[in-house]
Amino acid sequence: MADTNGKVVTLICERAVDLDQHLDEQGRLKDEPNVSVVKFPCSGMIQPLMIEAAMKAGASGVIVCGCQLGDCYYREGNKMIRERLLGQRPPGLKKTVDRRRVIALWLARPQIARFLAETKEFVGVLKELGPVEAPQPAKPATAPAAAKPPAAEKTEPGKEPPAQKAEPAKAPAAEKAEKKEPAPAEATPKPEAAKDKGASKEATSPSEVKQTGSSPDTQTESKQES
Amino acid sequence: MYTEPLNKITLKLEQYTNAIATSKYNPFYYHGALPQFYLWVLFLSGLLLFAYYIPTVDNAYASESPNLINAFTSVSYITNTIPFGVVIRALHRYAGDAMVLTIILHMLRVWFTDRYRQYRIVQWLSGVALLALVLFIGQTGYYLIWDERSLVLTRMTCTAFDAIPLIGQSLKWWFLNGTEITNYTLANFLFIHIGLSFSLLFGLWIHYVRMQRPVVTPPPVINYILVAILLLVVALVPLESSKMADLTQQPTEFDVDWFFLWPYWMMTVMPLGAYWLTLLVGTVVLCCLPYFVRTKEVEAAEVVINKCTGCSLCAKDCPYAAIEMVPAPAGSRFKLLATVKPYRCSGCGVCVGACAFDAIDLPDLLDSDVTDKIKAIAQLQT
Repeated sequence: MADTNGKVVTLICERAVDLDQHLDEQGRLKDEPNVSVVKFPCSGMIQPLMIEAAMKAGASGVIVCGCQLGDCYYREGNKMIRERLLGQRPPGLKKTVDRRRVIALWLARPQIARFLAETKEFVGVLKELGPVEAPQPAKPATAPAAAKPPAAEKTEPGKEPPAQKAEPAKAPAAEKAEKKEPAPAEATPKPEAAKDKGASKEATSPSEVKQTGSSPDTQTESKQES
Repeated sequence: MYTEPLNKITLKLEQYTNAIATSKYNPFYYHGALPQFYLWVLFLSGLLLFAYYIPTVDNAYASESPNLINAFTSVSYITNTIPFGVVIRALHRYAGDAMVLTIILHMLRVWFTDRYRQYRIVQWLSGVALLALVLFIGQTGYYLIWDERSLVLTRMTCTAFDAIPLIGQSLKWWFLNGTEITNYTLANFLFIHIGLSFSLLFGLWIHYVRMQRPVVTPPPVINYILVAILLLVVALVPLESSKMADLTQQPTEFDVDWFFLWPYWMMTVMPLGAYWLTLLVGTVVLCCLPYFVRTKEVEAAEVVINKCTGCSLCAKDCPYAAIEMVPAPAGSRFKLLATVKPYRCSGCGVCVGACAFDAIDLPDLLDSDVTDKIKAIAQLQT
């Protein structure tokens, strides 16, 4: 089912950025009809398996959107989903999900322009990534893959772009090289919203850099990771 | 909701602050922790002042001794003789003002951003009580100096108690620790000042108990800035000098510290009956504020008992401590079972997000429905 129909699912909480003016009746963004929006009372309600389900059903990417970090209306919801996505809190996101196709935005109600800009950029990134590769079963026998630490959110050098030939042995390693980076606004040039990007942090292989169209934020995001 | 325009203004303000300070260091996001920090400053500076303070009223007219020792002279001793005594005293004064200011800002923010109703009602009501306590404690602080202002304030308070029917005389007796101002009175003021300050800790426990991991400490950088602001005020606004209280005199004027002494200003501009009524009505309105807005009742989360494995993730994650793990029923494979306290549930769904076993649900938004909807969207061909 390697096709992606370019669909992006946005999982957003009701108190975060106020998109009501920008949605049509079916809950799709007027500016980007491929992007649909599903609302939750709080971003903390988002289950990682919902993201897995979206990807498995053929979505090209998923946007998770909650309130500003530090200002969740229900106190901790955005912190919860953020830590779940980063693997710091159970339940986590399965390893088979391509982390480059998931971004997280933390935006307050009035930050509509920022949301639309980030979404547009993300849709562009997804287009460059190409169709979704079918998830490969894990193959423990092969040496390079086996050497991987289990918390495989670190970039693996020599990772192959999934759009090209998918060597089964390397596929599990190839799936999720990037770390989804929380980018609290400490040092980013766009400081008014902390956001996570799917862009790679410590990636050194030129193929990844080219693929994801790394933004100027990359350097600063890697500093903030700790 | 009538607070929505105020909410918008608050969010806009915070957006600008985020741009300067980043969301991790935005002081608005620590609006509850700021008064808590100033409370620690007050405790520490208060402890140091307490070491040298003497709660007596004896003065030249009552005692023949040239080496007069009373509350006022002990305060002068702290201010003029003890190294940095004046700094500690000023710190204590301005930390009190800062605490009232930050409490008001905190109160306004939770009100404007609609975080004071329903499952947050205990926090709001305890907050009103805490505010009243803090204001009264601050007033007793001004009595303790035992200068002319203290005398005026004490007498005005007695007159105000006189105006209360039924219990007024008993209140006055309690306040003065007798029928007139004596050493017992000042010892009482000191007891009230310190004793109520510690009872604040109990009130704060109630204020925090319905939240898991309450944010009570700002990041260290903000703490340093808070102290720096205090020290700046200490340096720029010296404490006024004053005259010892003399019970034979009838001073009438005093400087008003608007943070704490505004009720006394009120007493000068309205009859006492109206004054008490205003305070009473104001308090009642504040306590009833959460009931003026009627929104949908929260549908509490429900545990699906046969799916719950007792992993406790929902209980750990719930921001309002609304989930309790109890021993699983007999015959269960598992040791623990999650149960929801519905009066604490906010309907946020963080528990649903935490559950890997589909064992807890918000009744009006089943996660299985949501997942189906997501799948449907993802599969749809354009």
